[in-house]
Amino acid sequence: MATINKRFGATDGYIRVPGGSEIYIFGWVDLTGIPENEIFSYRGKAQLLGPLLEAKVGDEVYLTLTNLGMPVRPDLDDSHTIHWHGFPNQIPVWDGVPEASISVLVGRDFVYYYKPLAPGTYIYHCHFEPVEHIQMGMVGPLLVRPADYDPGNPAYKTAYGHGTGTEFDREYFIFLTELDTRAHQQIEAVQEYDWTDYKPDYWLNNGRSYPDTVEPSGALPYQPYSSLIRANSGDKVLLRFVNLGYQQHSIEILGVPLHVIGQDAQRPLGLNGENLSYRKNALYFAAGQTMDAIFTAPSAGTYPLFNRDYHKNVNAGTAPGGMVSEIQILAGSLPPQPGPGQ
Amino acid sequence: MIRNINLWVTDGYISIPDGNSIYIWGYTDAAGKRAQVPGPRIVVNQGDVVNISITNTLPEATSVVFPGQSGVTADTGSGPQPAGPKYDGGGNLVSLTDFADYPGNPGGNPPTITYTFTAHRPGTFIYESGTNPHKQVQMGLYGAIIVRPSDYDPAVPAKKTAYGENTHTEFDREYLVVVSEIDPVLHQAVEQGKDYKIRDFLPRYWTMNGRSAPDTMNSDNAGYMPNQPYGAMIMAEPDEKVLIRYAGGGIENHPLHPHGNHTRIVALDGSLLKNGTEDLSYKKFTVLVGAGQTYDQVFTWSGLGYNPSNPIPTVMPNLRNLGVGDAGWTMWSGSPYLGEKGDVPVGVTSFNQVGEYHFMVHSHEEMQITNWGEFPGGMMTMIAIFPTGTLGDAGTIEGLG
Repeated sequence: MATINKRFGATDGYIRVPGGSEIYIFGWVDLTGIPENEIFSYRGKAQLLGPLLEAKVGDEVYLTLTNLGMPVRPDLDDSHTIHWHGFPNQIPVWDGVPEASISVLVGRDFVYYYKPLAPGTYIYHCHFEPVEHIQMGMVGPLLVRPADYDPGNPAYKTAYGHGTGTEFDREYFIFLTELDTRAHQQIEAVQEYDWTDYKPDYWLNNGRSYPDTVEPSGALPYQPYSSLIRANSGDKVLLRFVNLGYQQHSIEILGVPLHVIGQDAQRPLGLNGENLSYRKNALYFAAGQTMDAIFTAPSAGTYPLFNRDYHKNVNAGTAPGGMVSEIQILAGSLPPQPGPGQ
Repeated sequence: MIRNINLWVTDGYISIPDGNSIYIWGYTDAAGKRAQVPGPRIVVNQGDVVNISITNTLPEATSVVFPGQSGVTADTGSGPQPAGPKYDGGGNLVSLTDFADYPGNPGGNPPTITYTFTAHRPGTFIYESGTNPHKQVQMGLYGAIIVRPSDYDPAVPAKKTAYGENTHTEFDREYLVVVSEIDPVLHQAVEQGKDYKIRDFLPRYWTMNGRSAPDTMNSDNAGYMPNQPYGAMIMAEPDEKVLIRYAGGGIENHPLHPHGNHTRIVALDGSLLKNGTEDLSYKKFTVLVGAGQTYDQVFTWSGLGYNPSNPIPTVMPNLRNLGVGDAGWTMWSGSPYLGEKGDVPVGVTSFNQVGEYHFMVHSHEEMQITNWGEFPGGMMTMIAIFPTGTLGDAGTIEGLG
């Protein structure tokens, strides 16, 4: 069991949507290992999504949150928190709900501690004025490996542990959010936004809209995660779906049936261990849900992934765009995957 | 047993924490009382014959449907008939079931109708208007029915269950959360007799048991909310089995997310998730409560075993370096430990009683935890975990019946 020390900064910044517009966001930046006297140079460099957090059951995670403030909105002295969404048996001081514990003021640090109890796909997000801070981008992926996880041994390279039927060769996050650019523009311009008018005009997959979704990781400076999925024919591919938007979404991959082996970081198991996993062509998600699905890569070719709510596959009303991505299946030339989404 | 229940259909007002007052239509349990939202809870036993008499004082016809109940009859004075849809002379559907028409005579006796059904199976159910339901249900004409299993006995732990002995639905405490949403423009239009197009439906408030946060966390029968008698605060002690019954009383679907732990979904729409001996229950951390649907689930919080002699492995900073509470109030005790009280900064009011923990339960469509855009509000409450032995007798839900 390892001790994991991480440090995340909370600040603001800008992302890009197709067409060249820059959109103001709040978000996270990875400060792990950054010398103290360089921390402030990360102000204004928030990324969407936040850095991937990865731990094994039994690890001890010490996660320091540093509130770097908002260079574009120096008047906005909001606190921040980190909430591990779905973490079982949490205690309030590490649960990140300001009304029920504490929040982190501008210029301050706070250490959250987690000892993951169960494997699965989770989420972290800020819980301070969550309607604003989540929509503004303070979200990130969190995955917990089973205690026996061993990427070098196919029988132990699993989502939920040896013998659970969740072996995989490659894994990818499909992290769904939306963007209501009116809200982002109002907040950048120091104006109030009535959140009950929420009406997104961009739909994001791993923080990007199509065609940026299929650009490689690293192609966009503050949107580090591609959602291009690549595999060799015959590979078992694990998709870790997250919906952290405020809408319900229906995701489909044309020609690729999906085996749902996890819901909300739990195997679907009855009280006597009944295996309730199931197969679907379109996966339906409510806000705040996660789902794990495995497919066996079909013959070589390109298979589109998209939102079956077709009106969401647009950028400010123009198709194609939005949550569209691609699954590229190769005949066998792809080397082993070094890490999730890579 | 025969259960005779009388409901009046009338109007009233409910209170929203931002100061707004909303005109409603709703049910109430006595003549002359204002309407309440949701309607009075009806709690009966499996096998009971349930007679529900409706007296309508609204300026239009109304009716009640009982989704999930079979063999419902309606009696408008000429004997019970199978309840069924009503069509006008042109063949257009005007009600999902028999209705109590308004006589156009407010000074005379308002019309009544008696619905009768046998509560064949245990579970959580809804009753609601079947006439102009797109308007009347949104106005507040909805409520919940709990049917206890025939062997229910709250004094015997193995028989204090949602679905009967040996169904793995034992509970220590139970809570009912009926969710809905409010478009104040619709309510104002009905109050003023103006036209309203349901295609313009745009909710600004979201409710649990007819209340928006923070009122959701206040107790049952709080005096300043006479027409919203039911609190939505969930309270338990560590390791207890908490039965949480969700019901979708509105016209939208709401993803409800509890902090603190997963829930195990044991029944949907009053049907146990079992197929013979095969158990089909499952765990979730967010459930999508659909319009008209019910979810019965069991929640347990056990904690991580921290206490002052087994301290947390991080150092709590000086409180001067932290944000505590929201706009001058907090539900935190000031201590990381259950049952301990710590310091809370001067100027912050703590609503914490005995060092209990609070875990939020809320819609994850986050605009729904605002009151017309202002956080905190809306479809949000807390699960309070009290130190073992401090919460008193385990509560069960009571109602008409």
